[in-house]
Amino acid sequence: MVTLLRGTLRPLRLFQALPGPAADVPLRAASQGTGLLYPEHIPTSLLQKVLLTAGSAGMALYNPYRHDMVAVLGETTGCRALRVLRDQMKRDSEGAQILQERPRISLSTLDLDKLRSLPEGSLGREYLRFLDVNRVSPDTRAPTRFVDDEELAYVIQRYREVHDMLHTLLGMPTNILGEIVVKWFEAVQTGLPMCILGALFGPIRLSAQHLQVLVSELVPWAVQNGRRAPCVLNLYYERRWEQPLKALREELGITDPPVHIKA
Amino acid sequence: MAAPRSCALWGYCGRGWSRVMRGCRLPGLRSSWPGSLLSARLLSQEKRATETHFGFETVSEEEKGGKVYQVFESVAKKYDVMNDMMSLGIHRVWKDLLLWRMHPFPGTQLLDVAGGTGDIAFRFLSYIQAQHRRKQKRQLRAQQNLSWEEIAQKYQSEEDSLSGSHVVVCDINKEMLKIGRKKACAQGYKTGLAWVLGDAEELPFDDDKFDVYTIAFGIRNVTHIDRALEEAHRVLKPGGRFLCLEFSQVTNPLVSRLYDLYSFQVIPVMGEVIAKDWKSYQYLVESIRQFPAQEEFKEMIEDAGFQKVTYESLTSGIVAIHSGFKL
Repeated sequence: MVTLLRGTLRPLRLFQALPGPAADVPLRAASQGTGLLYPEHIPTSLLQKVLLTAGSAGMALYNPYRHDMVAVLGETTGCRALRVLRDQMKRDSEGAQILQERPRISLSTLDLDKLRSLPEGSLGREYLRFLDVNRVSPDTRAPTRFVDDEELAYVIQRYREVHDMLHTLLGMPTNILGEIVVKWFEAVQTGLPMCILGALFGPIRLSAQHLQVLVSELVPWAVQNGRRAPCVLNLYYERRWEQPLKALREELGITDPPVHIKA
Repeated sequence: MAAPRSCALWGYCGRGWSRVMRGCRLPGLRSSWPGSLLSARLLSQEKRATETHFGFETVSEEEKGGKVYQVFESVAKKYDVMNDMMSLGIHRVWKDLLLWRMHPFPGTQLLDVAGGTGDIAFRFLSYIQAQHRRKQKRQLRAQQNLSWEEIAQKYQSEEDSLSGSHVVVCDINKEMLKIGRKKACAQGYKTGLAWVLGDAEELPFDDDKFDVYTIAFGIRNVTHIDRALEEAHRVLKPGGRFLCLEFSQVTNPLVSRLYDLYSFQVIPVMGEVIAKDWKSYQYLVESIRQFPAQEEFKEMIEDAGFQKVTYESLTSGIVAIHSGFKL
C-alpha cells in the first residue's frame, strides 16, 4: 500500500526526501544507512522542512531554553546562505584549508592543558577563560541533521563551533543580552535566516532597560563591526591559539564593546 | 508475513518435544516428521530466524528488544502529551471503547500488559467504580422505607467499591512504570493496582490466573508476537478473554493516503519539536506499517489457542480491537 502511494506521488517531490533508492526501498539495513550523506543525517522532504521550520520557530519562542530548536531552525532555513558562505570560504585561502581539513572544536580535540599554559591575553587562554567563567562546554552543540548536503552540513557545524569564539572576540557573556549581540554580529556576517530571526525576535524577552542599551549602543556597534570584519568562518582558530587576542581583534577590525556586560 | 511464522516453527523445534506435544497447532506437522528433515529445517532457518524488523530497518532479534527499550525509555516522560498531540486526543476514545467492549464486572482480575503509563488500568478502575455507584443508586431506589441515616451510611461506605476487582499493570520498561505510578498517585488511584516489571514473552505469573488480558498499543513492539500470544493464553483462566487494541491496516484508499501522509510527514516533526526525538517517532510510524493486518493477526491469535476470535476496526481501520476467548 505504501509503495503504491509512493508510486503515485513520485512526480510530486513535495513528500519525498532525497531522490534515489532510499526513498523507494522500504527496508533498509541499520548498518548500511543508505541515502545518508553523513552519520547523523535525517533526510527530510520539503513539507517536513516547512513544518520543522514553523514548529522549531514556535517552540524556540515559547521555550527559550530549547537551543536545539534554534539549531534546527538554522538547518532548515539556511540552504541559500550556507551555499554563499561555502563559496566565499572556498575563495579565501585559509577558508579553503578549513573546508579541506575539516577541523572540529570539541573537548576531545582541544588540548586543554596546552591552552591553559598559554600566556595571558592570547586567544587560547581567553577562550578557556570564557568557557570557565560562563560554565559552558564546546560539546553541547547538537550535530547537524537536516542539511541535505554534506559539505554544507560541515559549514553549519563549523559555524556553531565558532560561535563560542565569537563570544570571546566580542567580549560578550552567554546571558540573553550577550547572545542577542552576537546574533546581530552573526546575522550581518553570515546572512543566515536563523540569525536574522534570532536578532529580530530575541529582544522580545528583554527588559526595557536592557532593550534600551541594546538598541542605542550595542546593536549599532555589532552591525558596524560585522560589516567591517572579514568573514569569521575563514579563520583557522586552531592555528591561532597563541596569537594575542588584541592583535586578532585589530586584524579583524573589531573594537571594544561600548558597554561592558557582566556575565 | 513470513517472519513470525518461521519464528514460531523455530520456537517449536527449539523448545523440545514437550511443548510440541502440548498443542501442535501448525497443520501438517501433526504427522511424524523424520529427524533428518527436522534438522535440515533447523539449519536453513537458523540464519533467517535471527533477523527481524525494527521499523523499516533490519536488525537481529537480540538487538530489537534493547532498541525498543531505549525508544520507550526516551519517550516515557512525554508519552501522554505526544499521544494526545499525534492522535488529536482520539486515543482516549479508542481506549474508552476497549473498556466498553471489555464490560468488566466487579471482581474481575485484569492483567494489562505493556500498560506502562496506566491508561487502561485507570479506566478499568473508574469503570468498576462507576458501576458500583450505579448499583448502589439502584439499590437505594428499590428500597422504600429507609431513614436518612441509613441512606447517608450507604453512600458513605467507601470500602470495597471495587468488590475484589484488581488490575496488574505489567511492563518491560522501568521508566514507563515510573510514570504510571506517578500518575496513579496524582489521580488518586490507591487500591486495586499492582505494578510489575515483566516481559510479555515470559510473564512472571502462574497459569490460569486472570479473567481478562489486555495489551493496548504494545504488542507490535514485542519481538516474538507469537510467544506473547501463547503467554497470554497461559495466564488466562479458562473462560478468560484476550483483548488487544493495536494499530492496524486502513482499508479505505483515501483515508490511507492521508494517514500515510500524516504519519510520515507530520509525526516525526512533532516528535522532534515536542519531545526532541525524531527517531523514536519515526520508529513508531514504521512499526505500525510492519504490523500484520486484521485478518492475519486474527489467525495468529487463533494459532495461540484462542477461540471465537473477532476483530473490530475503528476509525477506518487505523486501529483494531481483537478479542479472543480461552475455552
